[in-house]
Amino acid sequence: MLSALIWVPVLGAVFIALLPESLVARTRQIALAIASAVGIWTIILASQFDVGIPGLQFQESLPWIESLGLTYQLGIDGLSMPLILINSLLVWIAIYASDPNINRPRLYYVLMLVLGGAVAGAFVAQNLLLFFLFYEVELIPLYLVIAIWGGARRGYAATKFLIYTAASGVLILAAFFGLAIISETNSFDYDVVQSQVLPLTTQLLLLIPLVVGFGIKIPVVPFHTWLPDAHVEAPTPASVLLAGVLLKLGTYGLLRFGLGLFPEAWTEIAPWLAWIAVLSVLYGSFAAIAQTDMKKIVAYSSVGHMGYIILASAVATPLSLTGTVAQMISHGLISALLFLLVGVVYSKTGTRDINVLRGLLNPERGLPLIGSLMVVGAMASAGIPGMVGFVAEFIVYRGSLPAFPLQTLLCMVGTGLTAVYFLILINRVFFGRLPESLANLPRIRWQDRLPSIIVTVLVIVLGIQPSWMLRWSNVTIQAMGMEEVNRLVQVESESTRLAETVGDSESVRRLVESTETVPLTSMTNPNSIAFTPGKEAASDKSTEPLGDRLIDNSLPHSKLKPNI
Amino acid sequence: MTQTTVAVTHPSSPHALSDIITRLESGGALLPDTPENLIEVVGILKSYGVVLDAYQRNLQYIAEHQFLVLFPFFKYFDGKVTLQKLLKHWWHDRINYEYAEYCMRGMLWHGAEGVDQYLDSEEFRQRAMAAIQARGKGHLLAQAIGSLFPEFALEQVRMLVYYSILGQFWDVMSRMFLDLSDRYDRGEIQSIPAVVEHIQNGLVEAATKPMVYAVTLKGKTYEIVPKSAGLTFLMDAAVPYVEAVFFRLFPFFGTVSYNAQAHQVPEDQAEFGYGALFADALPIGGAGIPPTLLMQDMTHYIPDYLHEVYLKGLRGEDDLRVKIGISFQKSMFCVTTAAMMGLMPHPRTTTDPAQREENRRYLEGWMDRLVHTQLLNVQ
Repeated sequence: MLSALIWVPVLGAVFIALLPESLVARTRQIALAIASAVGIWTIILASQFDVGIPGLQFQESLPWIESLGLTYQLGIDGLSMPLILINSLLVWIAIYASDPNINRPRLYYVLMLVLGGAVAGAFVAQNLLLFFLFYEVELIPLYLVIAIWGGARRGYAATKFLIYTAASGVLILAAFFGLAIISETNSFDYDVVQSQVLPLTTQLLLLIPLVVGFGIKIPVVPFHTWLPDAHVEAPTPASVLLAGVLLKLGTYGLLRFGLGLFPEAWTEIAPWLAWIAVLSVLYGSFAAIAQTDMKKIVAYSSVGHMGYIILASAVATPLSLTGTVAQMISHGLISALLFLLVGVVYSKTGTRDINVLRGLLNPERGLPLIGSLMVVGAMASAGIPGMVGFVAEFIVYRGSLPAFPLQTLLCMVGTGLTAVYFLILINRVFFGRLPESLANLPRIRWQDRLPSIIVTVLVIVLGIQPSWMLRWSNVTIQAMGMEEVNRLVQVESESTRLAETVGDSESVRRLVESTETVPLTSMTNPNSIAFTPGKEAASDKSTEPLGDRLIDNSLPHSKLKPNI
Repeated sequence: MTQTTVAVTHPSSPHALSDIITRLESGGALLPDTPENLIEVVGILKSYGVVLDAYQRNLQYIAEHQFLVLFPFFKYFDGKVTLQKLLKHWWHDRINYEYAEYCMRGMLWHGAEGVDQYLDSEEFRQRAMAAIQARGKGHLLAQAIGSLFPEFALEQVRMLVYYSILGQFWDVMSRMFLDLSDRYDRGEIQSIPAVVEHIQNGLVEAATKPMVYAVTLKGKTYEIVPKSAGLTFLMDAAVPYVEAVFFRLFPFFGTVSYNAQAHQVPEDQAEFGYGALFADALPIGGAGIPPTLLMQDMTHYIPDYLHEVYLKGLRGEDDLRVKIGISFQKSMFCVTTAAMMGLMPHPRTTTDPAQREENRRYLEGWMDRLVHTQLLNVQ
């Protein structure tokens, strides 16, 4: 079943590539039909997905190159299900929002479909090499889309994107090979390598290149410089996919392979990750304030908002991990919306310069609906209640505050700064009198409006009813987080170093008991946050980060691994 | 009156708008004579004529039949209140009579010299009081208000006089504009100067038309502004209207940004520059602001030939009101031209150098007032 998510778009791409000349004019409609089919299939999968099962579902396994340890092993769980949904939605939207008169349409839509299929493959791959394969495959279409249909500096931006993300791939591959070699399993299957016991030092040696590799993809500061360039030069649909889905491959990879395979080392580096998150959030936000290009503002905003995911990932409690999923979905939708809107502004005015644009909210000759949606998007990005951004950021902060209070507070500054740069953008671009130079803008078509409207509706609906967003991942995330909690209990019972903190241990046990009795769906209710590990940690006498209190090299590492 | 072109023999005016002065002295108009401008002006004046007719009927209805009605809930219904009409009213798929009232209030506030003189006269007071007393009979609330605030009802009657005068003025103008459209359809109007000439002839023809106002209460007619008051169409309605509505009016919220406390609104009413000739066709946000009400009303009556022109624009129907606003402004420059030429101290074709010089000073005076309007934007 999952194979369809990969192979329908890929075979669709082949079909488009082989289209006779007489049908080339209908390429867009065919691509849209293929993306629609994938979207419908994703909805069917989602409807059959059992949200009560924490592990993998719809698994498929085929031997491939067994001598290399490469098997075609697919599966989906609560972590990847929302990302698959977003991927299918945004691929459809990206194709719909593409210029109907784009040059070389056959190649363009082939690349878009391959991109969508490869990303879906990466999210469902349960073999490390297979994941790497899809991870690398998606670089090629995106590189080509930027290089062929990009802006004036597309060559530079595409090359930079390729170099950075290729470096990311090399680091990830090195980590995967290292894991296979050190563990002597001769297998890259996720469940096999996950069961291996590795000393902490080895875990650290493997985790660090993995973190850097995925950190480039996310991207975290200081590996971020490729992203603004790529966004600025990429056509709008590519920006939508890049911000909406492709960056999530980085955070997904961190959680799946970083936290999932090296949990003890993850705990060790967690404080560092939290500081990297702070750096990304603040740097991204201040850099956004300094920009005059609308797309660069949104791009740097992305750098900042991806930092929230890093922060919550570092904490790795059920609540914070719920926050990572929420923020991945939230950022996927909001950044896609903002890039779509910036794309419309650019296509109609010919500029993205906030010092040139003015008065676009003019009801008659401006872009009133686009401007209104931009206001909604900016509000959502700034975490205004009632929209998905608020829910995600609130859970991230609530989950992260007990473990990393200072870092969380500094990240909260980033939310305030989001309001600053988006208000600057909106004030300059949309308010005031429309200048004569912009008084004759081309007509706005429904094709310009519909994608943004769809995403805006989702941003609002999921803000009002966040359980619809988190229901897929609650049990999986809970399982991941509870492994961390169990580990805490285990550590405290076995470690003499932490013997003095018996009170803590009891409190954690109480926490475990209480968590097990609370319906998992209540995780989406802010009122239910009181029972989370974060809350307990907040009342902890120790202000040390969770990771600092968990380290015990004498423990059997197999007990420390979340079952994901 | 026939259009005559006179060779300009004396030097050009040193005025910044000397080109336009030269054009006016040559028989042209403030608006350049182009086929596009002609279509826009005639087409928009046709729809304006229809809307003005509705406005004038309602203004006169209010003046005559809503006399001192304390709660005029149905003043926009012209005496025909039906559920269908009420629903249409609430749905706003209707003529926005509010615009007409804004214009009336503009005239009332900025004043009309002859009208105000009469309204401050003892004769008016006596005539108005007679009507007020007749209206108050059997109406305890009206009597009580009249006793407590004796000037209140009188001031209301003064306002009703303006309702009536503007209604009478627009009655003439609407027929004039619709007649212009008919003549255009017959091929008799083929240039902007011809449009101006048509309007100028209409103004001259109606110049001495008396402005009167009477109400009938309980079967008895009360002449509040009799013919003997000497108020006439040109000097007591057209000229004050042009001054108030074309030039001064109000700083409508949404059309201009202002801070009255910071003295961004002139303290002297004569310095106001918020009228139709100054109006920005690109309103800043908001909805339902007065000038756009008129544009909205005119959208329903645009002739097909003009609609086709509008549809050729990049935004098609999307910016219809802006296009109408721009066309309307062009047409108002034609009306202004007609008023200017009609009030010129000497015939435009005069050969007397002294008279021509006087005419030039007159036109330069107008240009001083027009220099900050949208005139240059329609050249």
